[in-house]
Amino acid sequence: MGTHARSPRGGGLNATGPGEKALRYVLLALMLALTVSPFLWQLSTSLKSLDEDIYSGTPSFLPEHPTLGNYAQVAETIPVWSYALNSLVVAAVVIAGNAVGATLAGYALAKLRFRGAKLLLGLFLATLVLPGEVTIVSQYVTIRGLGLADTLLGVALPGAIGMLNVLLMRTAFMAIPAEMDEAAVIDGATAWQRLLRIGLPNVRGMLSVITIFAFIGAWDDFLWPLIVLSDPENYTLTVGLQYLNGTFTANPRLIAAGTMISFVPIVIVFAALQRFFFRGVEEGAIKG
Amino acid sequence: MRRFRAGAALAAAVLAAAGCGLGDAGPQGTAQGGAPSAAVTGEVKGKVTLQTWALKPKFTDYVQGVIDAFQKRYPGVTVEWLDQPGDGYSDKVLSQAASGTLPDVTNLPPDFALPLVKQGMLLDVAQADPKISDEYVAGGVEAYTYAGQQGVYGYPWYLNTDVNYWNSELMAKYGLDVKKPPTTFDELVAQARIMKEKSGGKVYLMSRRPELGDLAEAGVELMSADGKRFTFNTPEAAALLDKYRDAYKEGLLPRDVLTDTYAGNAKLFDEGTAAWTTGGGNYITSLAVDNPSLAPKVVPSPDMGVPPLYVQGLSVSKQTKNPAAAVALARWVTSPENQAAFAHLVSIFPSTKASAGDPFFSRSDGTNAGDAKVIAFASLAKAKMLQPVVVTDAMSKFVRQQFALAISGEVPSKQALDTAAAKCDELLAG
Repeated sequence: MGTHARSPRGGGLNATGPGEKALRYVLLALMLALTVSPFLWQLSTSLKSLDEDIYSGTPSFLPEHPTLGNYAQVAETIPVWSYALNSLVVAAVVIAGNAVGATLAGYALAKLRFRGAKLLLGLFLATLVLPGEVTIVSQYVTIRGLGLADTLLGVALPGAIGMLNVLLMRTAFMAIPAEMDEAAVIDGATAWQRLLRIGLPNVRGMLSVITIFAFIGAWDDFLWPLIVLSDPENYTLTVGLQYLNGTFTANPRLIAAGTMISFVPIVIVFAALQRFFFRGVEEGAIKG
Repeated sequence: MRRFRAGAALAAAVLAAAGCGLGDAGPQGTAQGGAPSAAVTGEVKGKVTLQTWALKPKFTDYVQGVIDAFQKRYPGVTVEWLDQPGDGYSDKVLSQAASGTLPDVTNLPPDFALPLVKQGMLLDVAQADPKISDEYVAGGVEAYTYAGQQGVYGYPWYLNTDVNYWNSELMAKYGLDVKKPPTTFDELVAQARIMKEKSGGKVYLMSRRPELGDLAEAGVELMSADGKRFTFNTPEAAALLDKYRDAYKEGLLPRDVLTDTYAGNAKLFDEGTAAWTTGGGNYITSLAVDNPSLAPKVVPSPDMGVPPLYVQGLSVSKQTKNPAAAVALARWVTSPENQAAFAHLVSIFPSTKASAGDPFFSRSDGTNAGDAKVIAFASLAKAKMLQPVVVTDAMSKFVRQQFALAISGEVPSKQALDTAAAKCDELLAG
């Protein structure tokens, strides 16, 4: 970047010259284009009408005859709203399970001393090593044994406490200085009081991170709901959208429109929580 | 399709690992071989489930019509119809099998049925129905016969094969006559050369990486008769790879054709970068949805070698409570009349011998899609299942890598074939 990398007037560590600033924006714009273009392509496909080519050597992002007809047709073909509702139910159970369960488990592992804590942590870590696909059949047999096959609870339950989320919460609780806890103990606070008064206010960021992760995980999951559910009435949105992709008939415009519909709630959740989200992501960095 | 198969291989391993204990998982669990074939001759009544693969909502009316007629014909029967989404179907079937909830009659392609046959979960329909070979075409019945397993494990349902599709606009533009498309591999290479020269290397005719099926298409026996050994490392196969190597060196194929991220010739065809692709009898109809301006320019021609045979079938679960009704339902859905009605809705072809004389399949309506249908129907007579069902994803991947080495010229073709065959044998035994 050469000569004008540092502005003589700035002085501070974060000061940047106009050249470097421009370079940063160019790089950022490049990254943005890379990550956003597939999404834009999908969006433009969903708006194209039936007489336009979808796959071409030079993809055109602007539909020639934009139409919302594909969205209407998706709603006609499959009961989008009831599928979305099913997905929401699953997502709500998973979020509640993770927010409560991972917080409690994370706090216990980080702050409470009990026999076998190390062993427990090791076991949690060990379950992370197994890819989900390996255990999926035995998990299904378990869910069936509980009588939860073909229910939304059966879909939600295995994801209700994510081991990774427990570890994340544990890390967040570890970042709280031990002295604060000790002071509270001297004041006579019980474990519950310490969790509620000292622990929780300090991990809100991480909590929103696992909420978003849990939501996206539950909302986007395909294989597990497919295996658990057999009655089409109970399908979640990701499974139900597959009806747009039939054996002999797959209209890419409809599939794109369905994808867009299923994408909207993720945007809403992220927009609502993003303030906390970035705080949560940075939390590990300010530990010290 | 590839995605489905990856899941199948994995879940098959799970199924095998869990072993015979699986039979006890569900309330219907019975010991292997539990269903007495004598019961199949019993009365057709009770409740049966039929599972299809991604036919809703486009074919809801058709399937429901077939079921209604069946229930009318056998008043004591109620049919419950389940239609599963396209993605993840093999995982769904294997989890159903593992938990003892396999539907009575299930649509399974031959490779999905294999792990269930190995676990003894499917009914030998030839035993229940000895006339099966008289009524269904040989290729369809053979698809559900497995090396080392006695019997036939599914009623062949609908068939399809591949047809060559040419982009007439690109061919005319770059000095080729779409009325005289290549009929042999050597002609293909010659025309590809003309296209490369005239288009300055921008447009390709050939854009396909050879796989095991291409060797079979060229007449190479892939496996020994007993199905225990791979035999594709012949001089003929090496000669074919050599031809590909020379064509690749000459620049007649896209440079990235050998990589795993290669988009595939159908994709390049849709984009107008390649002027040739292969596809089922239904290809033009679906292309008309994707790229409406390209579809009318496509001209079909017959496959160059032995055309591949794609089979769908209906298998009957061994654990069914109403074997007579289940077998009757599978026969009903695959009957000549019901298959012909299906074929009128979409370009697929019936697996029943009685349908061979149906003029609907040998007469084109004058459109290019109609021509493709007629060509595909004519090709079916000599079509064969090119890739053995025992070929797993792991084997295909290894073969692909070895072929890529041979075509890029890093390894002599024969050596690559020997290595690939040895590895496949090892994977087959393991």
